Order: sequence, then structure tokens, then C-alpha cells
Amino acid sequence: MSYIGEFFRAFGENLIEEVKFSDMGEEISHAILPKSIASFDLAGFNVVLSDATIATWGVMILITILAIVLGYRPQRIPSSKRQQIAEIFVNTLMKLAQSTNMTYEQSEKIVPYVGTIAVFISLTNLVVLFKISPPAKNIAFPIALALFTLVYVIVMSIRFVGLKGFLKSLIYPQAALLPFKILDYLIKPVSLSLRLFGNIFGAYILMEFIYLVIPIVLPGVVGLWFDIADGILQGVIFTYLSITYIGEVIEGAHMYDHDRKLKEANAH
Amino acid sequence: MDHGLIAIGAGIAISFAAGGAAIGIGTAAGKALEATARQPEMMGRLNAMLMTAIIFMEATAIYALVISLLLIFAF
Repeated sequence: MSYIGEFFRAFGENLIEEVKFSDMGEEISHAILPKSIASFDLAGFNVVLSDATIATWGVMILITILAIVLGYRPQRIPSSKRQQIAEIFVNTLMKLAQSTNMTYEQSEKIVPYVGTIAVFISLTNLVVLFKISPPAKNIAFPIALALFTLVYVIVMSIRFVGLKGFLKSLIYPQAALLPFKILDYLIKPVSLSLRLFGNIFGAYILMEFIYLVIPIVLPGVVGLWFDIADGILQGVIFTYLSITYIGEVIEGAHMYDHDRKLKEANAH
Repeated sequence: MDHGLIAIGAGIAISFAAGGAAIGIGTAAGKALEATARQPEMMGRLNAMLMTAIIFMEATAIYALVISLLLIFAF
């Protein structure tokens, strides 16, 4: 018993000393800067390989291998476990898409991009488990993903309901709302990217802080939420929101036609 | 610039935003529970709507977090 008491007393003293004398702000500031691992000249441009680049490419290779393994020789009636895993994943996404006013065929077309984004963001956030800083900590990564997603949302919704339908969805409840709807499309990438960036950045700083102050037991417990659950959740949320955005446009276009028909029926 | 004032500003920014987001999420979750108790068969749809609402409410707190982090580390 006295050994344990001695241990905690020494631990407490060390902790106080650590907090008193180390420059915590300096260490955290150092931790949040992107680390450049190598840099070389390519046709006059200075290309910097940061840790985020390497983590992203590693995850991309992992996803490619995963996709090849899971999708190798698919059968009409799945007999292998790996095909069933892939089908469960695709089915879940398709059901999610169908719950936001999409037909079966439309949800089928959505899955490739949206599923890739979900797996990609979740895995890049999980990279933090190997003490590599997550790429989403760098604001450029979320902004790139959000801009791609915005373009994808607009292109796919035009493909699904036509340019006319897209314009109808802009003036769906009231024509007076048009400026706000346009503003909404400008705010969507900001909201998508800042949500991902803020969550991952905040969690990363908090975890660095906990590693610095109490390096035993507590990082493992708190990391279960901030490193694992939150990282996967952010990928799911990003996907969910991009599906919802497409669903909103489809609903707006259909409801506009529906309201028009009702009005004409009432007029007669 | 005075670092103490910046720290106070960051604290105020995140505290008000966190309070507001907490009130919003609490109200939404409470209403969703009431609705589920009244109509348990609607639970799936209610959960999906609740999740969307919570994501948007949480976003405001996240914006404040980003701003307070910027205040601390960028100035």
C-alpha cells in the first residue's frame, strides 16, 4: 500500500513541476505546425512533402488495396465474406440516400464518390493512432474536400433533376428566398470544411495537452472518443451532409412541381 | 498586443458559443424524446432529423472553437 502511495506522491510532484516549468504554449504551438519531411525542386516549383501529404497518400494506397481485395471477382449470389462486407457498406449508404428522397437508381450513382469520401476522411482521421498528425489538422485538406463536394453536389443534382429542376429548387418555397439560397451554396463549403477542421484540430490540441500533462492512462481513455469515435463520426457526418444536400435539391424540384399542380387544380 | 486580453477574449468566445449550442441541443433532444414517447413508430425518422439538427447546432460551437484557437495561436 505504501508503495502505491509513494508512487502517486512522486507522480503528483513531477506533474506539478512539469506544469510549472515547461512552456506549454510553446510546445503545443510547435505541435500544430505542419512538419515538412522532404522538399525538392520540380520544374521551378519548390515541392514540399509534409507529413499530411504522406499520410494522405498512405491512406489512398490502403483504400486502393482494400477496394481491390473486397471487390475481387464479385458473384451474383455472394458466398465470400469480403463481398458481403462490401455489400453491407454499399447497402447502408444506399438506404441513407433513399431516405433523403432519392430513387434506387439515383442512390446507386451517388455511392462511389460519397462512400470513398466517408472511408477516406475516417481513415485519415484514424492516422492519429500511429502518432502521425491527421491531415485534416491542416486547413487546406478540408477546404479541398469541401470544394470538390460542392461541385459534385451541384453536378449530380443537375444530372438528376435537370438544369430546370435545379433552378426550380432555388425558388422552391418562395421566389424571395433566392438570394439566401445562393448564399447557402457559398456557405456550404465553409461550413463543411470548418466543421471537419475545427473538430479534428480541437481534438488534436486537446490530446497534445493531455499527453503533456498526464501521460499515463488518461490519454488512452479520452483518446477513445477524441481519436477514434470522433474521427470516424466526422467522416460519416461529411458523407451524410453531402447526401442530404443532393436530397434537398431533388425534394425542392419535386415539391415546386407539386405545388404548381395543386395551384392549377385549385384555380379550376 | 496584450496576451492576457486575448486569452480572456478566447475564453468568452468559446464559453458563450458552447452555452448556446448546449441549450439548443438540449431542447432539440428533449423534444425528440417527447415525440418518440408519443409516437414510438416514428423513431427512425425522428432520429435522422435529430441528427441533422444536432450537426448544425454543433457547428456553431465548432466555429467559435476555431475562432478562439485562432485568437490564441495566430496573434
